[in-house]
Amino acid sequence: MVKEEKEIANRPDNTAFTQQRLPAWQPMLSAGIVIPGFVLIGLAFIGIGVALFVTSRSITVLEIDYTGIEKDSACFKCSNADVKNCVCNLVFSIDSLFEGPVFFYYGLSNYFQNYRKYAASRDDEQLSGDLDAFTAPSDSCSPYDYNSNDQPIVPCGAIANSMFNDTFVLYRVVNGANKLVPLDGKGIAWWTDYNVKFRNPSVTPLKNAFNNTVKPIFWPKPAYQLDASDPANNGFINQDFLVWMRRAALPDFRKLYRRITDGEYAKGLPAGNYSLTIAYNYPVESFDGRKKVVFSNVSWMGGKNEFLGIAYLVVGSLCVLMSIVMLIVYAKFKFPEED
Amino acid sequence: MEGFESGLTWEVRANDRKHHKQMKSFLCFRWGRYADNLVRSYKYSPLTFLPLTLFEQFQRAAYLYFLLMVVMQSVPDISSVPFYITIFPLLIVLSVRGLKDLANDMARRRSDSEINSRPCDVLDSQSFNRAQWKDVCVGDVLRIHKDQVIPADLLVLCSSEPHSLCYVETADIDGECNLKFRQALSATHNQLTSHPSEETLAAFDGVVLCEEPNNRLYTFRGQMHWRGESLLLDNEHILLRGTVLRNTDFAYGLTIYTGADSKVLRNCGKLRVKRTRMERVFNQVVIGIVLSVLLAALLLAIGAGVFSSWVMSHIGPTSALVINGNPVYTGFLIFWSYIILLSPAMPIALYISFEVIHMVHSLFIGWDMEMYWQQANRPAQARNTSLNEELGQVGYLLSDKTGTLTQNRLLFRQCCIAGEVYGDASSKAEDTEPMDLSWNPFSCGGLFMSAPSLVQKLRGQQCPISCQFLRALSVCHTVMAIWKEEAPVYQAASPDEEALVGAARELGWVFLSRTRDFIVVSELGVTREYRLLALLDFTSHRRRMSVLVREPEGGLKLYCKGADLVILERLQKDCLHQERTERALELFSQACLRTLCVAVRSVPEASWEQWSKTLDQSATMVTSDRDALLEKLYDQMEIDLQLIGVTAIEDRLQEGVHETIALLQQAGIKVWVLTGDKKETAVNIGYSCKLLDPDTRLLEWQELKQILQSPDPGVTFFKARQTELWAVDKQAAEAKTALVLTGPELAEFDQKPEWGATFMRLAEQCQSVLCCRVTPGQKADIVSLVRKHTRSITMSIGDGANDVNMIKTAHVGVGLAGVEGGQAVQNADFALSQFRFLQRLLLVHGRWSYRRISFFLRYFLFKTCSFALVHIWFGFFNGFSAQSLYETWFIALYSLFYTAFPIMCLAFFEQDVNAESSLKWPELYRSGQRQELSSPLILISSLLYAVYSSLVFFFIPFGVFHNTAYDFQTMAVTVAMAATFTANAEISLVTRYWTRWNVAAVCVSVVLFFICSRVTQSTRLFKASPMDYFFLGASERAFIDPLVWLTALLTTWTAVLPSMTALAINVILNMHDKHKVHSASSQPVELRSRLTRGASLRRSSYALSQGAGPGRLISSGTCIRSTVLTVNEQVTADNNSTDSQLQINMKNNIDAPNHT
Repeated sequence: MVKEEKEIANRPDNTAFTQQRLPAWQPMLSAGIVIPGFVLIGLAFIGIGVALFVTSRSITVLEIDYTGIEKDSACFKCSNADVKNCVCNLVFSIDSLFEGPVFFYYGLSNYFQNYRKYAASRDDEQLSGDLDAFTAPSDSCSPYDYNSNDQPIVPCGAIANSMFNDTFVLYRVVNGANKLVPLDGKGIAWWTDYNVKFRNPSVTPLKNAFNNTVKPIFWPKPAYQLDASDPANNGFINQDFLVWMRRAALPDFRKLYRRITDGEYAKGLPAGNYSLTIAYNYPVESFDGRKKVVFSNVSWMGGKNEFLGIAYLVVGSLCVLMSIVMLIVYAKFKFPEED
Repeated sequence: MEGFESGLTWEVRANDRKHHKQMKSFLCFRWGRYADNLVRSYKYSPLTFLPLTLFEQFQRAAYLYFLLMVVMQSVPDISSVPFYITIFPLLIVLSVRGLKDLANDMARRRSDSEINSRPCDVLDSQSFNRAQWKDVCVGDVLRIHKDQVIPADLLVLCSSEPHSLCYVETADIDGECNLKFRQALSATHNQLTSHPSEETLAAFDGVVLCEEPNNRLYTFRGQMHWRGESLLLDNEHILLRGTVLRNTDFAYGLTIYTGADSKVLRNCGKLRVKRTRMERVFNQVVIGIVLSVLLAALLLAIGAGVFSSWVMSHIGPTSALVINGNPVYTGFLIFWSYIILLSPAMPIALYISFEVIHMVHSLFIGWDMEMYWQQANRPAQARNTSLNEELGQVGYLLSDKTGTLTQNRLLFRQCCIAGEVYGDASSKAEDTEPMDLSWNPFSCGGLFMSAPSLVQKLRGQQCPISCQFLRALSVCHTVMAIWKEEAPVYQAASPDEEALVGAARELGWVFLSRTRDFIVVSELGVTREYRLLALLDFTSHRRRMSVLVREPEGGLKLYCKGADLVILERLQKDCLHQERTERALELFSQACLRTLCVAVRSVPEASWEQWSKTLDQSATMVTSDRDALLEKLYDQMEIDLQLIGVTAIEDRLQEGVHETIALLQQAGIKVWVLTGDKKETAVNIGYSCKLLDPDTRLLEWQELKQILQSPDPGVTFFKARQTELWAVDKQAAEAKTALVLTGPELAEFDQKPEWGATFMRLAEQCQSVLCCRVTPGQKADIVSLVRKHTRSITMSIGDGANDVNMIKTAHVGVGLAGVEGGQAVQNADFALSQFRFLQRLLLVHGRWSYRRISFFLRYFLFKTCSFALVHIWFGFFNGFSAQSLYETWFIALYSLFYTAFPIMCLAFFEQDVNAESSLKWPELYRSGQRQELSSPLILISSLLYAVYSSLVFFFIPFGVFHNTAYDFQTMAVTVAMAATFTANAEISLVTRYWTRWNVAAVCVSVVLFFICSRVTQSTRLFKASPMDYFFLGASERAFIDPLVWLTALLTTWTAVLPSMTALAINVILNMHDKHKVHSASSQPVELRSRLTRGASLRRSSYALSQGAGPGRLISSGTCIRSTVLTVNEQVTADNNSTDSQLQINMKNNIDAPNHT
């Protein structure tokens, strides 16, 4: 008995796995499945494409360039970098009701927020409120870590330093008088950024935390004075700062500035004339950039995006087209004698 | 000295260790002229392991590349991706491989030390001491016992046998199982055996001068200077390492060559690392990828330089970041950053996965029940785990004969006596009903013939001709009988004779013993002595042998057996039964049996007396034409024969050999046979295993040489084939030709290297090539020839030590473990127990492996390149700053978690058709031979596909996110999502065999992407290390954004669209191909012309390993000791000894293949 056991000791296990007989589904594809499959998928894509396209069409977008390169532009006078504290007025009109909620963006182009060195030029420790990093910013911030007097810059780094600092005030022109349109700047940043990623040091008043540090070279005001109207909206958790710190993917981008949701404007901007007062601070001429303001409402798919709808339509039609080609090929092969 | 002039420069002094142990040494390295007897096949020592293994591993360019990546990634200025992304996988790979090599080396070390510590007796001043093989030194005198393996190449000094003969079995060297004899010089024999041996041997002080160590197994040239005499030495005096001493109690030998100098080890060939062709092609593609990456990085770096100079010309927030303000320097740094960023295009995971897959495929081979041989309890084994896919591409199978195609068992299956056929060969040998032979006390089984009628006839003594037939079998041979446990054990130089004598024993005619003059036979219990008057020996030219005996009754009888053609032309006129016997011969040859005709002649007393006088005269002649004279004389005696019958012997093929060969030939594999055996035997086996068809024309050397020498070999060959066939068989439209070559003829190729290419071109058109009497070295040369002149994968299969070299030389070497595990297995890449398992190994495992690995490589190239090349396109929109488009963790996990499982499952489980169908349609195998799935073109097309996909990955999200409020991280997550989806969609398109593991793997991969993304972008990890997990919250928002999903979906679909289309078109067009496969499987029945089976196709063979039979030794009485010699006889024997010595020398001159 023992001998017998030994004799088959090396015998391989007879299992489905070892014998490579695992039960398996072997899809038997045929032209009868493939061609209708292509048609169906193509049609589905066309369907999605149409839906996206229609949705996108229903979104209203008002985009105004205010860089001021052109001489007839309202902000032409400000485009010269030597002019300080320049303010320009942009007047525009809306023909019909601009349905709300209206989102107010500023847009920059040819601006490489995704440049690797630029992107790395920040100190996450510092931005999460670590006081040690206030006195000794990380090397990654270089050359925006210390000023010429060797004082640490807070917030350090290129991203923070280059923060967009144009400000906008929107008026509705009613009977020749400017009526302020209230802009809502709350909750325009990501929840995680506001609550986790960026923290102010737990020092009150906030100003004390910034002792022995200097503001970024480019900034007119230190971080703890970013929003004079709301003391809570200062320091690293200032909404505009957070929006800016969330880098754009591509050189042409928009960033949310404000939402128009209050009172009489909750339903949107009524038809009429508007005046936008711009505190023109941010120089873009040096890098051939453009600045613009964008008013837009949103749908379930976000802002206006015609590309996606068209792309779906194109790919969907391509599939249908291909299925027709396949059908022809199939017919030729199936009935070769007719050839 | 004269020795130096004739090339005999190897000097061996007996019993002089000091002389041979002179060593030069430097530091710890020592070398001397004479190697020691240690076998070292291991590579590492504890000290050298680490440097050597690292050196070996970093010879793979890929590893160096990864090392470079690690170094670069740890330079902060250029590090676009943290270093830990590469270093951990690299360390894992290095250590896994290193450990694997170490384990292999340990195994080699163990087997080495097992060999090195085998015992042997070494003479150490006056007495023999037990020592180990490794202690044997050139010049030592050794004592070898019966059945001991000989530890080094020895010169026989003397042995326990008369005339210092000794028998060796050379199965491990040339694959032949019969015994060969070696003999000491008469000088040493006379001087050293006459006294107590230890002392005389210790005093022996001969000096041997011989050739330098070489690999020629069948020749040896040397001289011995001893006591003022100079004696010539040749191969007949040498015992080779690895042979086994048989039937000789002990032999004494002087060590000539040891260890690495010995002829066997010289024949072994070098241990070479085998790489598969696919790996080579793939490595080329990898080099191509690396070069493209370098080029891309260079262009991007130039872009970066231009961009930075543009940025510097303006004042902006980023301008301060352009380092040192020097665009060239910036470009330089960016170049390296891009190399790092693009390096995942060739990930290290590929190399790990490649190994794992190979290993699993090897395990599958070992697990296959169908390749498990119950009798030996041995499953198949993949010893080299990196060659699996080559099994699916084999174009040439070079097979050994003995032990591989045949079992080396000869069975007496049928006979024809007086025109009556007995036995039935149509059934298998095992299925024959055993006859009741209990009446025969000497019967010990082994007769696979069922012929009760014959037994009845014999026992009833009714049929004198049957009795005569068996008498002929029991008398006419050169077999010796050794008595063991009251039964004779036969020792024969030819396995055929052993089978015949054995069959006669079973049927009651028992050959008991022979002395010089008598042959004792027990005929149905009655012991009869036949006086042996003359033994007319076998030569390859005569193809027959006869004995002339005086019967106890007084009559003179000549019994003769030989090839049918030679016997039939020597018969009496109007011989009885001739016609029926010839029909039987045809019948036997159709059953692929080896036939011998047996005939008898009653010799008149007068003619005998006259003949014997002439014989005595010519036997004493010492001229070179003595052999011719003798042959003529023999011819005179072998006339007027009376045909008694025909024997039919089956050279047992291994099970399923001809089915396997037929299948492999259908699969487009060329099967060649390389054997050390005789031409006749090889050709016979060629026919019986259906390698050659009955109407195949054999092209032999003479013709081949003419063709090779002709100015236009192809045309000449074609003509030769055509015309000949036209004459023989007008209907044979398709010419079937096979080449038959022998070793000495092959040696001519060395001088004419230009013949090689021509020969291979001819061989490609031939059905097969048979190479006979080739040395192990030549076997390897043939393999190299095939390797050199074709692009096919070669596979060698063999079972003995003589096949080791060819097994090592071929792309894939298979060792047959047979009944006992042998040397071949040790050196083989795959070990099988049976030849027939080859069909499963090649057509099932090989084909699957090839497909799986091809798909694996293509898919891997696609998934890694498509995901990494995105950075090139992104570079144009981020100022060429080497910004990664992915989260660092995505790069790290992509090839590990998100895409690895499905492809591994595919590489483990994929089957296009199941095993049964693979064997049913061997034509499917041809796609592997043509490299249809792994050609460089295919790999390049998958690269192009990857480039296309990377464009899609970038530009569709680009179109969507361009000029929107979406941030970088959301886009990164979207692209990552699309890349993961695409990789998994693509594998779903490739997979044809969905086991539940495949389904699970795809699902798990996709789910893991979502889970891991959420985890690496979670608050907790961010708080632990903000620098490493800075994508906080990105996926949380992205995964609920419909736009992200829609974008990823569109990107995925667009990316796999070409693959999808190709698949669809394939499906549509393939209906046609499938139809083809089905129609191909039902091949038309082959038309075989029965008419061509003429007499010329009869195959009669008398297999002897050496040219001439040992009859002379028998007739001179040198090797007989079963009876005590009388004093008188001893004297005559001694007198004869010089004679026999001479004969042997002469014989060697004929036999020894000339290796000049």
